[in-house]
This record gives sequence, structure tokens and C-alpha cells, in this order.
Amino acid sequence: MNAVIRTEELAKRFGRVTALDGVSLEIPPGVVWALLGRNGAGKSTLIRILMGLLEPDRGRAQVLGHDCRTEYLAVRRKVGYVPELPVLYDWMTVAEIGRFCAAFHPAGYFSEYLRAAAQFGLRPDQKLRHLSKGMRAGVVLSLALGHDPELLILDEPTSGLDVMFRRQFLESMVDRAAAGKTVFLASHQVHEVERVADIVAFLKEGRIILVEPLDRLKRETRHWILTFADDRAAGSALDRFAAEDGVLRADRDGRQIELLVRSREDAPERRFAAALNLEQVESHACSLEEIFTAYMGPERDCEAPSLKEARK
Amino acid sequence: MFLQIHPDDAVPIYEQIARQIQFAVAAGGLMPGDTVPSVRELARQLAVNPNTVARAYRELQALGILDAQRGLGLTVAAEAVEKCRDQRSRWIRERLAQVVGEALRAKVSARQLQSILQDVIQTLSRQEAQS
Repeated sequence: MNAVIRTEELAKRFGRVTALDGVSLEIPPGVVWALLGRNGAGKSTLIRILMGLLEPDRGRAQVLGHDCRTEYLAVRRKVGYVPELPVLYDWMTVAEIGRFCAAFHPAGYFSEYLRAAAQFGLRPDQKLRHLSKGMRAGVVLSLALGHDPELLILDEPTSGLDVMFRRQFLESMVDRAAAGKTVFLASHQVHEVERVADIVAFLKEGRIILVEPLDRLKRETRHWILTFADDRAAGSALDRFAAEDGVLRADRDGRQIELLVRSREDAPERRFAAALNLEQVESHACSLEEIFTAYMGPERDCEAPSLKEARK
Repeated sequence: MFLQIHPDDAVPIYEQIARQIQFAVAAGGLMPGDTVPSVRELARQLAVNPNTVARAYRELQALGILDAQRGLGLTVAAEAVEKCRDQRSRWIRERLAQVVGEALRAKVSARQLQSILQDVIQTLSRQEAQS
């Protein structure tokens, strides 16, 4: 298999803050690959290393067969990249910025760019300065699509956009995938990821803690509510189950315990068979949001210095 | 054909698509010989992953509900209507069983349940008749 993106043990620190801590990835072609993580988890750092905008302290990264450190020009030419905070030349028009970027790309880029821009309701003579946030995002995505890239990398593309622009963004993303291209999407919009992703990865404090096809993750994770005869039975069951394999979260409320369990067994309820004084077992499937929240674990109590502050 | 997708529902998205198409066939909204949108079109329309749509279509083909027609794409099979009606009855039974099970566990009596069900049927059919 020819990986579109491959990284080995990437590590990056900013001062005392560890942004990436040994990230190894292999992303196959033709999928929508979504990287989920909280703010400051290291998503943008990873993307900036992939685009050759930042050097890792350790490890290697390859995009479309090119080394991100030494062949970053080839990477940037081949990849469609939508940064989190795009910088546009405000004094240009929609057409002018397209022509400016066309200089770095093969013939045909400009007309393709204008076609994509028109789908966002953009006219060639509009000044960028006068565009709304959503329309500017439309310009950035159109610039990223002009050369029909094999790989589209999006960093929080829809944050701050209204519902209509979001929807248009999602549609363009879906259409890339339908054309057999690869989409790398970094996001904290769990609902969007749930719609469009083939594979999801969770990034937590600079480490990849999970990479999994989304449908398998959802199929194998269930939410259980067990009701016991009394509080004591519930308490001892909680102690026992909380330590078991695949239990992502365990809580007790009176004589009920609530578990989020990842399991490949055919009959996962069997693991509860030996519990004493168990009166009732209920279960339901989980949304990606529930699963993501459980994997991210409890909120940290202390205010760790955020990465963005540390970068300044 | 209008489908509604709820990504965070317990039912996987591909199954939501497959079910709604079967409901549409059972109700006559989609008829034998009608073509369904291409994978790319439907994926875009619903803003969901194209592999998800392709999977729904594959399952419907395996069930004999959609046929691949050369040059036309996928069309509703002649014998699909009966299959979809059977399937619809099974799902209705399943969903009722869920509600009834929940009620029984909460110690609602069988007689109470029957009277609630009667009442719901009467109210809803009156509303249907008025609209």
C-alpha cells in the first residue's frame, strides 16, 4: 500500500510545552481521514510539519512520497492546503489572488479556481477586503482545489463559519472523496467528522491514542446502564468493571452504574453475568461525541499553559 | 427522493440510507424502474462520506432491491416492493417491541399498554384523515 501521508515518531516541543510526542501515522489513499483533538492537542503543529512550515525536533514525515523537510516545495505544489488562519492579500480581488497563485501551478489552475469560487457565490471582481468570513474561507478552499490535488489538508476548516458555508464546505470535501482523492481533516467538530470520515484518529496531548475506521469504532462501543439491588452491590461492581479491558468510562449513581465499553465480543453482556445482585441491564449504541469524550478522559484540573500562548 | 440523516443516531448512516430507501419503495415514493441518484450525487446532497452511500447501495443490491442497469446506474427492481413492505413490517415490529419492552420493565400493565396503543392509533388516524 502506498501511503499518502507517512510519519515516524514525530516529536516537537515549544519551550516547556510538548506539542507532539512520537506521532507515527500511515494514511492510505482515497479516504477521508479525520484527526480529532481538543484545542491545543497538537493538530496544527502536525499539519505545519507536514506542509514543511515547521521542523520537527525528532522523527520523519513524508507526503505523497516527498520528505516534508527537504522537499517541501514539491509537497506544497501537490497538496491542497487550507490553514486554520489563512492570510490573504486584502487589496487583491478574487480573480487577482487566483492569478497570483496560478503562477505556482500548472496551466488550467486559474479557470478551475474560478469555477470553484463561483460555487461559493464569489465574483471575480470582488475585493477580498470586502468579503465576509465565510466567503474568504470559500476563496481559500477554491485556491486549494485549483490544481485538483491528490491530497487536501484542512485545518479546522469550518470553525467560525455559519451553517450554510459549513454545509458547502462539507459538500466540497465529500466530492473530493467521491473523486477518489484523499482528505486529511483536522477538526474538533465531532458531528461533522461523524458525517464524512472513513477513519478517525484521536490526538491527546501530542499523542495519537486511537486510529480506527469510524464504523467499526461505533459498532464496537456501547453504553451500558446496570441496575443493582442496592448501593453496595453497585459499588463493588463498579470497582470490578472499571478495571476491566475496554472500559473507557465508569460512573456510579446510587444503585446504578454506567459504563462505556469498547468490545469485540459477540455477546458483550456476558461479562456482566457474574455480577451479584444485578437486577437490570440496558444498553445503547454511542455517538462519536460520547466515544471521543470518554477517550479524552476527565477534564484536567490544573490550567496547563496552552500551546498557542507558549508559541508567542 | 429526500432522505434525512442523523449522524449521531445509533443506527449507522449507511443503514439509515438503506432503510429510508426501502421505506420509500414500500410507500410507493420510489417505484420499480426508477433510478436512484449516483453515489457521488447522493453523498454530496446529504454531505456524507461517499463510501457510506456506496455501502448502502451495495446492501440494497444484495437484497435484490436495486439492480445495476447498464448505462442507467441503479434502478429499483421489479420485485422490490413486496420485499420492502415485508421489511417495513419487521422494523415496525422491532420498534414497537422496544417501546413495549421499556414499558413492561417500568411495570406498566399489559392492559394499560393496550389502551394507550388504541388511543394513539385513534388520535393519529383522526389527524391523518383531517390533513
